[in-house]
Amino acid sequence: MKHKTTLLFAGVILLASGSAKANWAEMISLSGSLESDVRFITDNWRGAKKGQGYEFEMNRNDINLRLRADPTERVQAVVDTRLRFFGFNEAATLPELISRERIDPFSFQLTEAYVAVRGVPWSKMDIKIGRMIQTWGTVDMFNPTDNLNARDFSDPLNFMDKVPNQMLEIDIYPTDWLTLQAVWVPTFKPSQLPPSAVLGFALEYDDNGCVAGFPAPPLDADGRAVLGSLFSADGPFGMDLDLCRLNFANPEVRTVMPKAGISNSQAAARAKFQAGPVDFSLSYYYGRFKFPVAYTAVADVMSPGGKTSGFVTDSKTIDPKKYNVKYVAEVMYPRMQVIGADFAYSSDNPWVPGFKAEAALILPEKVDFGMSAFLDGEKLDLGKDPANPMRTITSSNGSGKPFVKATVGVDWSYSDIFYINLMYVYGFFDEFNDRFGLHHFFVGATEFKFLQSELQIRMSSVLDMTDLSAMIYPQLTWIVAPAVELSFGYMHFFGDTSPRDPLDFATKSRFGQKATGRNVAFMKAKVTF
Amino acid sequence: MRLRTVGRMLAVVVALAAFSGTAQAETAAEILVKMDKTVNGFDDQFMDNTMTIINIDGSKKSYRFSILQKGEKRLIRFSTGEMKGMANLIEGAGRVYAYLPGQKKVRRVSAHNMQQSFAGSDFSNDDMAFTSWPGNYTAEIKSQDDNYWVLACTAIPGKSAPYPAAEAKVRKGTYQLDAYTFFDEAGKPIKSFENSDLTDFGGGLMRNKTVLVTDLRTGHKTQLEIHEFKVNQKVPDSKFTQRELEWGR
Repeated sequence: MKHKTTLLFAGVILLASGSAKANWAEMISLSGSLESDVRFITDNWRGAKKGQGYEFEMNRNDINLRLRADPTERVQAVVDTRLRFFGFNEAATLPELISRERIDPFSFQLTEAYVAVRGVPWSKMDIKIGRMIQTWGTVDMFNPTDNLNARDFSDPLNFMDKVPNQMLEIDIYPTDWLTLQAVWVPTFKPSQLPPSAVLGFALEYDDNGCVAGFPAPPLDADGRAVLGSLFSADGPFGMDLDLCRLNFANPEVRTVMPKAGISNSQAAARAKFQAGPVDFSLSYYYGRFKFPVAYTAVADVMSPGGKTSGFVTDSKTIDPKKYNVKYVAEVMYPRMQVIGADFAYSSDNPWVPGFKAEAALILPEKVDFGMSAFLDGEKLDLGKDPANPMRTITSSNGSGKPFVKATVGVDWSYSDIFYINLMYVYGFFDEFNDRFGLHHFFVGATEFKFLQSELQIRMSSVLDMTDLSAMIYPQLTWIVAPAVELSFGYMHFFGDTSPRDPLDFATKSRFGQKATGRNVAFMKAKVTF
Repeated sequence: MRLRTVGRMLAVVVALAAFSGTAQAETAAEILVKMDKTVNGFDDQFMDNTMTIINIDGSKKSYRFSILQKGEKRLIRFSTGEMKGMANLIEGAGRVYAYLPGQKKVRRVSAHNMQQSFAGSDFSNDDMAFTSWPGNYTAEIKSQDDNYWVLACTAIPGKSAPYPAAEAKVRKGTYQLDAYTFFDEAGKPIKSFENSDLTDFGGGLMRNKTVLVTDLRTGHKTQLEIHEFKVNQKVPDSKFTQRELEWGR
């Protein structure tokens, strides 16, 4: 089968190879950039433990190389790579000190690698196959219709990066005003989360070393009441929520990944129209949500002097005087269909701002969250109804009902001096209308340019209007010479680090929670060639 | 002999007077059309350029880019500098698209962006999109000497003239546009363009190789040097589409 596909594509390329170019120099173009990024954490309260901070968070160097070959006018091959050096020693033992990879760790990433063939088998059709990144939608950055590639949030300062994936793309250009596009992505890839994401499931400790908070499961009010009753004086633990009596091992979160079968493929289609001052498109996507949604959880508890279940409790860390707790959660990637529409309006009048809007109607898979608990090896009855006791707490973490995510924005500039972009966003990248719900955001970015754009001051901010947490991101960029940029900036989060109700998943603060990241000052240098 | 000489001189004077009469008979509108034909009168044109931005303190920075043009349509690609990989497609007034390599996305550019400078230079995006003098300005002969006509141009309402008024210095005989100045609504000069170094780019294709733009409000300057200039290559319309913009990414 693989052999047949290769032959088929080779045939397509042969069809396309009309006028081959004379020499390699004509065929190949190389471009890229060198980037250096140093970041310093400016808080000591958003880390895993209180007091952690005021240290370097990043000391990174990237070498990005993009090679493009055009063997004929109708064939193009692109290889885009990134060599990333992290800049922090990871050698923790003497034997590791002999390894350069541990002292100076690095990774190699293949951002894109694809072949594109133009005008085959029909003059108005292009085919691309390989590892690609797609960007759909007309609004800036917050595109609810852009679902083919997962997001790469490994860098919290960069909302643009994506996880590349293998895909087949067919573009048809029947008229000047219409473009049709179809994409098939054989396998699923999840989003890459920021390093701080693990703090979303981390335990909080107070100054006495007692557990001060633990990740709240996504339960409804009834479920939270049952969970709270476990820790009441007359509950099975009989300790009235004295968290100092808990020896809580670090929670473990497992992912339930879709199998690599054809039923887990993604497919999408789009029709783009141009009509005078308006560009608009209609799109459809079938696939999965790329961020994890909480699915199950198991709490295994061993009372002082009690027995271990042997199920999940790690016997090595057991404190015989305390309640020993191990919490294992599972997250999954629900299926969804997305029906999207977007438009961009551009007036001839320079005083009229540009308008953009994008909306996605999402038809999601229903997600029922289930939680069970063990005490001294026995499964606890967490049923809500005494007449029909259930042994797990169940709670909807995604009703399966259709919902909408949308972005509306305007932008305007005055000469070279000033640029402003304002957006209303309903539903952030990782929001799926689960127990956390969908939040309303106001996004603003302004930019002032000086000295023929050599000096740029940009202020970006996002306000979560639902929980009133926020993020600000001022940045100064100096174009020292053509192709050489220096940037200095700062990112700061506002909001409560802990949920208002420790048992209520939905009361987490969007930007306040530690999982969002650290407050950092940064300095970047970039040379493009 | 003397009579013969006088006769010849008279013939020359008569011929000169006839020529001069023809030149004077040319209206400003005709001169504008001929000048535009000399400058823009090709089915299509391609230019490979280096743009040098000259700061007031004399410091310089340069970018290389190419322009492919057919009628109102233009495709501009940057090949050096921090904008390397960026491309702009101008399909017509108010229909401008940019390919942003960082986002791997084609974005429609709003009209307000056209007021901005072109890559930090003294060219505005409107200047770059300006492709027809007679389509956007009416002209009157303000003055002339043996070598030049100076045309006072006024923007035609409802058209896409980049500035309300202009003054164009057109060389007699060749109709080359050697210099022009744009004015604001109050009649203050905003920007001047000096074209020099008339060069044969092959087959008698004459073009001023150097363009010096001065922002008269700040004294800031930009020099454009044309390395390659080709015309009438039978460039198809399909080269000026979003398909092409994406293909070249």
